[in-house]
Amino acid sequence: MHEGAFLIPVILALPILGAIFVMCTPKSETQLHRGLGLTFTLITFLVSLFILNPRFLNPREAGFQLVFDSEWIPGLGAHFKTGVDGISVFLVLLTTLLMPLTLLGTSKSIDRHVREFIAAMLVLETGMLGAFVALDLFLFYIFWEVMLIPMYLLIGIWGGQRRLYASIKFVIYTMVGSLLMLVAIFYVYIQGAAVLGGYTTDLERLLTVALPYNAQVWCFAAFALAFAIKVPLFPLHTWLPDAHVEAPTAGSVILAGVLLKFGIYGFLRFAMPLFPHGAAVWAPAISVLAVIGIIYGAFVAFAQDDVKKLVAYSSVSHLGFCALGVFALTSYGISGSIYAMLSHGLTTGGLFLGIGVLYERRHTRRLAEYGGIWKQMPIFSGLFLVIVMGSAGLPALSGFVGEFLTILGTFIAGDTLPRGYSIPSPRAMGALAATGVVLGAVYLLWMFQRVFFGKLDKAKNGKLEDLASHELATFIPLVIGIFLLGLFPRPLLAVMEPAVQKFTREFARRVVECDGPPHRYGAINCDANPRQQAEIQRNLDNLARGAAAVQQTINGNPGAGSGGPQ
Amino acid sequence: MSLDPTELGYLLPYLILAVTGMLLVLAEAFYRSEDRSALASLTAVGALASAVASVVTYRQLGDGVRVPLLGDMLVADRTGCVLSALFAVTTAFAALATPAHQREHEWQCGEYYGVMLLSASGMVMLAQAWNLVTVFLGIETMSIGVYVMCAMRRSSRRGNEAAMKYFLIGAFATGFLMYGMALLYGAAGTSKLSALASGLAHTKNPGLVIAGGFMLIVAFGFKVAAVPFHMWAPDAYEGAPTPVTAFMAAAVKGAAIAAMIRVFGVALGGDVVPFGTLGWASPMVVIAAITITVGNITAVRQDNIKRMLAYSSISHAGVLLVGICALGLGSSTANTSLVYYLIAYSITTMGAFAIVAYVGSRGRERLLVDDWAGLGAQHPAVALAMTVLLLSFGGIPPTGGFFAKFYIFQAAMEVYDRQLLWLVVVGVINSAISIFYYLRIVTAMYFREANQPFVPTRSAGLMFVIIICPLLILELGVMPGWWLRLVG
Repeated sequence: MHEGAFLIPVILALPILGAIFVMCTPKSETQLHRGLGLTFTLITFLVSLFILNPRFLNPREAGFQLVFDSEWIPGLGAHFKTGVDGISVFLVLLTTLLMPLTLLGTSKSIDRHVREFIAAMLVLETGMLGAFVALDLFLFYIFWEVMLIPMYLLIGIWGGQRRLYASIKFVIYTMVGSLLMLVAIFYVYIQGAAVLGGYTTDLERLLTVALPYNAQVWCFAAFALAFAIKVPLFPLHTWLPDAHVEAPTAGSVILAGVLLKFGIYGFLRFAMPLFPHGAAVWAPAISVLAVIGIIYGAFVAFAQDDVKKLVAYSSVSHLGFCALGVFALTSYGISGSIYAMLSHGLTTGGLFLGIGVLYERRHTRRLAEYGGIWKQMPIFSGLFLVIVMGSAGLPALSGFVGEFLTILGTFIAGDTLPRGYSIPSPRAMGALAATGVVLGAVYLLWMFQRVFFGKLDKAKNGKLEDLASHELATFIPLVIGIFLLGLFPRPLLAVMEPAVQKFTREFARRVVECDGPPHRYGAINCDANPRQQAEIQRNLDNLARGAAAVQQTINGNPGAGSGGPQ
Repeated sequence: MSLDPTELGYLLPYLILAVTGMLLVLAEAFYRSEDRSALASLTAVGALASAVASVVTYRQLGDGVRVPLLGDMLVADRTGCVLSALFAVTTAFAALATPAHQREHEWQCGEYYGVMLLSASGMVMLAQAWNLVTVFLGIETMSIGVYVMCAMRRSSRRGNEAAMKYFLIGAFATGFLMYGMALLYGAAGTSKLSALASGLAHTKNPGLVIAGGFMLIVAFGFKVAAVPFHMWAPDAYEGAPTPVTAFMAAAVKGAAIAAMIRVFGVALGGDVVPFGTLGWASPMVVIAAITITVGNITAVRQDNIKRMLAYSSISHAGVLLVGICALGLGSSTANTSLVYYLIAYSITTMGAFAIVAYVGSRGRERLLVDDWAGLGAQHPAVALAMTVLLLSFGGIPPTGGFFAKFYIFQAAMEVYDRQLLWLVVVGVINSAISIFYYLRIVTAMYFREANQPFVPTRSAGLMFVIIICPLLILELGVMPGWWLRLVG
């Protein structure tokens, strides 16, 4: 057992304990419920900071750390196994940070069933954290589904006009994806048992199994459907605007800030390592869809009159960057993708909170209803400007680093892609993605201009009050976070780097692994084949050479500096 | 057939039910008071005593031990004991839920309880059956009791219609069952399940085997309400008094599956009668796929909760048939997964129908989905319980229903057969469809305002069932290990 292994189960247990505790208090004590919710999420956040303690998390270590492993269902070989690595650790922290901020920022806007609201949010937090730290396929699937129901209730009970439609659409979309993933999990599980000589759902053990080629193609497709719906990738995104618009502010913040990340995270943690051949087959399609999503999301966002819809489509665009970065399969692209997710969590969370602030005061989200707000709400406008700029990718703010690295990673992908894996014309895709950054700046600034500048010509806007203290307490940490991420990317990238390097290395090794002749159970592991060993070595050399070349060309660039080979 | 005194211990679960049932019928004749709830308590006590006897028997038997009883008529093994205990407990729950419903909807009659226990004794016989003769006897003992229970609410026209339909179609199915058994007997020269397999494999008349297998599929298809033999189920489930519906959906269906585990798993299954050659599995796969799909899609269109749950139980029967296919094809985990599924499904069904009984009261049964609007605001605990049960039906973790489906599908995948792989895909896609109508009820309960205050049916027994079922389901979902080892 690793040092500090107990920490993650504690972090998982805290919110659910909070939920049980809140449900036990009397129904009418809404202040108490809000206070309890805030306390429990804050404690969770503070405890989660201990993960960064160097005694627990060695930043140079590439593998899983703080691993907690206990047998859970012996008959199935399912373990309660949790742990973090450079890929997941900051996503966990993002989740624990956003929860108290969300509860604080939206504490006034929810006035019905407050107790149930707080409980749903806390259960949701456990679900999300669990899915980020689960190192067992079965455990992951459970947490993945556990997230679904609280979100459904959040949209359905506290949502807007068309909440019934939006909540059902959200559930059905997600379920269809995740159930097909379940079939693929069965397959991996049964194949794994044949090769490993016993049933297990332990991710690390299943990663040693080489599955047959065809099976990988299908299993990756099943996983990819689940994750692509969550991302959401271009043709599967239609649930997102509905869910975002109808969800209450808190729901939108969590949906955009954390839930969407599971798509990208799922690709990185499960789909690509488990099925490298499948990833190689589907990568061209997915990366093209990601680019389409970047540009399509930006254009559609531009056409919106509803601010929430605008931000929802901007998420489609931003998450497109993340997907592209992952499938470019360079360490820049992947680090950048994770970084962009963190930034997107802060900025889009902030955007939705800001919209919530306006909506609470004016009860409309139409752009045309606003204008000249800056004069009435200078503090809010200033903070919101930082968030908008962060989202648009202004240098020195958080969005820039992630987008820059993903585009860079895509641009150079042609030099480092392992044998047997390719995406169509990486340079062109990088260039197209870069136009997405420009478009993003256009629609975000245009939105900002229409809301905050111009004449204050609507009488109702004349009475707007600036931020109250609890709202200030919400926005200031976000803005600080956006600045910190933008100015000091190195420490975070340094922690991600070893895990990302390991990911690309392992992928390059496994994508040429043979799949063996078909036999009753189909799978054999054939590391010993000398011809393949040579190919693997070639892939690794290629990878190192490409990374070194890039290191030279962009030496001195912040953020990119830590991207070289170890 | 001779009775060995040492075998009596193994027969206790059956004997307790049968004797208590007969005593209850007698008691009814001499019972004065109008209120029959004392009889319900006696029923529950008798059923639980039988469950305890099953548990004791279970503990005496080792893993994988089979003790043939009464000259290969019945068998005592762990699967049989677990299922007997399950049927007994389900019967006890149904009995506990009944008196309040009888009081509110005015159909007090004491024979009901005796008949219920006698019917349950048929189920235990099915769980322990080891011979075509006992399978037939068990099915008839069980079914005749249920026909009567269905018709107990004499004043209800729908109840009478339901009972009539159920009886006629049930009798028809019995014909198929008898004929199929006769054909198999003719082909193999024995009615012992353990000897049938080898008898069928060496038969000189394979045509008889095919025809017999098909007849049995049809007969059991009627009993578990598999499509296209399901037409009676929605009407019967809707028309019967709610506790009877619960009993039918949970225990009767479970017992029919228990019989199928024996007949298709032992007599027709394994390597002796493989897929395709004698061919009962291929039609069964098709029937399972159609059953899951039709059940779910029709349930989406229902406004009446009892009908919706009826169609949902049809689709669950389809999933159980997936398990039967896997069992017949030699999946090593199929037996465990079927038993686990039956446990989870029976508990969920009992709980859900108990809540249906709770929500309605005198003069207003509140069976439409719209009638449930606002339950979450007025009775949050019951709405939460119903939500847990519906999530379990839909197969969403961390409930027992999720795990049950997971395990059945895993057992089916384990066989490594292309047809079963497609069946699993159909099954999981249908799970997504089913979420839609289960959440319709949740949506009504939580997201909409009540048009009238709820006047629920209150009784200690009913509340007990409503509380215990969701807790059990969560326990099954979070800690499935213990349950899986029961028959593993």
